[in-house]
Formats: sequence, C-alpha cells, structure tokens
Amino acid sequence: MNGTPRVLNRVLLALLGLLFLGSGALLIALATVPAVGRWWQDRAKPATAEFAGLAARTILPGRSNSWIWIVVSLALVLLIIAMVAWVANQGKGRTDILADEYGDEDDDGAAGRVVISGAVAEQALKSALSERTDLLAATVATYALRGQPALRVRVLPRQGVSPHKLAAEVSALVQALDVVTGLRTPVLLSIGSGARTRFTKAERVG
Amino acid sequence: MSKSIARAVRREMHSSRAILSGVAAVTVTIIAVYCLLESALRALDQPPWLADPLTAVQRLADLPAGMPTPLLGVLGAVAALIGLIFFLNAVLPGKRARHVIADDRIAVVADDEVIASALARSARLAAGVTQEQVLVVISRRTVLVNVRPTSGIPIDETSVLTAVQQEVESMALEPQPEVRINLAATGVIGV
Repeated sequence: MNGTPRVLNRVLLALLGLLFLGSGALLIALATVPAVGRWWQDRAKPATAEFAGLAARTILPGRSNSWIWIVVSLALVLLIIAMVAWVANQGKGRTDILADEYGDEDDDGAAGRVVISGAVAEQALKSALSERTDLLAATVATYALRGQPALRVRVLPRQGVSPHKLAAEVSALVQALDVVTGLRTPVLLSIGSGARTRFTKAERVG
Repeated sequence: MSKSIARAVRREMHSSRAILSGVAAVTVTIIAVYCLLESALRALDQPPWLADPLTAVQRLADLPAGMPTPLLGVLGAVAALIGLIFFLNAVLPGKRARHVIADDRIAVVADDEVIASALARSARLAAGVTQEQVLVVISRRTVLVNVRPTSGIPIDETSVLTAVQQEVESMALEPQPEVRINLAATGVIGV
C-alpha cells in the first residue's frame, strides 16, 4: 500500500550482498589458501604503490596533502546522502486528503471547492471499529495510490474470529462511509495477528 | 476492483524488505562515516584517529601477512554471512503467509494465522474438544487440521471435515486451499 521502493530495495540489497559475499569469500581464501595470498599480493601491491604515487604527485601547492582525499571525502558524503535518502523512502506515501474536488453551479447550485480531510474517514472507521469487542486493535490510514487517495484498514482480531465475517462487516461500514462522503474510496483491509492476539483469550461465544 | 488497489493487494502479499534495507543502509552509513572521518582528517592535514587511509590500504594489500590467520578467516566468514543474508533477501520471493478474501466492495488480505485460528475454532466446535486438542497448519494450497480426541470419546472425522470445509468455502479464499483432517491415533486424558 505504501510507496516503499521495493525494486530498489532488492537491487541495492543484492548489490551489497554480493559485495559483502565477495569480500568475505576473498578473506576466507586469503586465510586458508596460500596461492590466493600470493595472487592477491601480486595484484594489490603494485596497485597500492601506484595509488601512493598518485597521492604524492597530486599534493596541492602550499600543503602537505593530495587533493585526492578531498575527492574521496566528497564521494563518501554523497554515499552517506544516498543511504539516508534510501532509508527516508521506506514506508512513504501517506496523505491527509481524502477528496479534493471543484464543483460548479450545475452540480448543486453553488460553485466552489470541497476538500475532505483523510481524518474524516479515519476517525469514522476507527471509532466504529473500536466499539467491537472481537478486535484488539484497529488502525486506519490514508495513502496516495498513484495519486488517488485510498484507505488502509489494519485490524487485529482475537483468536477464533472468522475473517470473512469480519471482512463483510467492515465492508458494510465502508459502504456506509461511501454514502456519507459520496465517494467510492478504494479500501484495503488487512486482517492480522500479533503478539497481542496470541496472549489474550479467545472469544468463546458461538 | 481497480488496478491500483489490485497492485496494493499484490504488494501486501509480499515482504517489502524495508527493515533489512534500513539495516543495510545504516551499516553502509557507519562504515562510510568512519572512512569520511579518516579521509577528512588526512585532507585537513590532521593526525589520523585510528589509521591513516594510505597505510590502511597498504596493510590490506599485504594480507594475509600481518594478521592472525584465524581472525582473518572469522572476519571473512562474518562478512560472507552478512552478504548471503542480504543477497538471499533480495533474490527470494518473500511471499507472506497471507490469503486474499473475496469481497464486493473492499480488498481483503488476511494473515494465515487468523484463518487458522478461525478454522481451529470451527473444528473444535464440530469435534467437541478443547482448544488445546486442535492444531491447524495452513500453507498456500492446503489446510491440515490435526485433532487429538479425548480418550474414550470417538470423533466423527467427516463431520469435522464438513465443518472446516464449509468454513473455508465461506471464506472464499484466493488461492482456495484443500482441507485435510488428521485424527491422532492416541487420545488425551484429563481435559
């Protein structure tokens, strides 16, 4: 329901996974196989010497150090910004507007704009659901699905509650809300379980 | 059901990998902040905190010399394990244990645990046993109901099967699982 970049998550996790896996495998090989150690030193030592030479050649006039370190620092700052942006993109997509429409005089006699806050639907559904004794918790949130507002209802029923009966009753509540707002907002109901449902007593009626 | 809500349901059935992504990002950030510190100290002509970057690179090139072999192996194993966890999480489908319940107006997704406890209740009522004697295991395609009868009181398997099947059918699950009943040969006493 939310706008978590799932493909990006998987691509970046795969890249990082391969990076860690590769370096880990190299370390294990270095520790166990002498031939790999020789191969690594043959490759890495000239490269390091070249890098040290480059650092020595690029020393800024009037200072004792190369500008390479400034470039490296900037690259690391960019990497850190990218990582923060990646984390910030998880779970986004909430909105607080359920409807935003312009009406004209042909509509109902008056021109104007109507904005309905998402809190209207959230509060209405939540208060209706909180009266039920077969639910331990209910949360309602408004999300923007491809720009269109949609509601996500998450309920945690007690053990033994029939999910389809619960779904039908929430569906009836949503239809009542449709009548009130005059909209057919898409709704996703997620019936879940958690630690709280496992350790509270089951409904024994029926 | 509109296209966007169908997509939302599809996403709801799979893990988003958000938590592990956060862990990976924090790991990379910590490593990068340390490297940034050392390289900025070097750029500002300050003495290094733990290791000068150029010296660190040179010591890396000298491996496996200069480091105890067991420590190197353990470090490698830890890095490889972390890498494997990240990579498998990226590649595996990450299906959640959930089923879609059909409804005319709203899209409904229910955790298998909720479905299992509802089916366990109907099996318990049909068999006339206590809650502890019924165990329901749900996978995508099958529902396995394990019932341990009370010693000396026989259980009619077909009536349990009918009750559970009716409940499953009225749930209108997608995909529709097949119900199997497993009556234990031994009974329990003292319930």
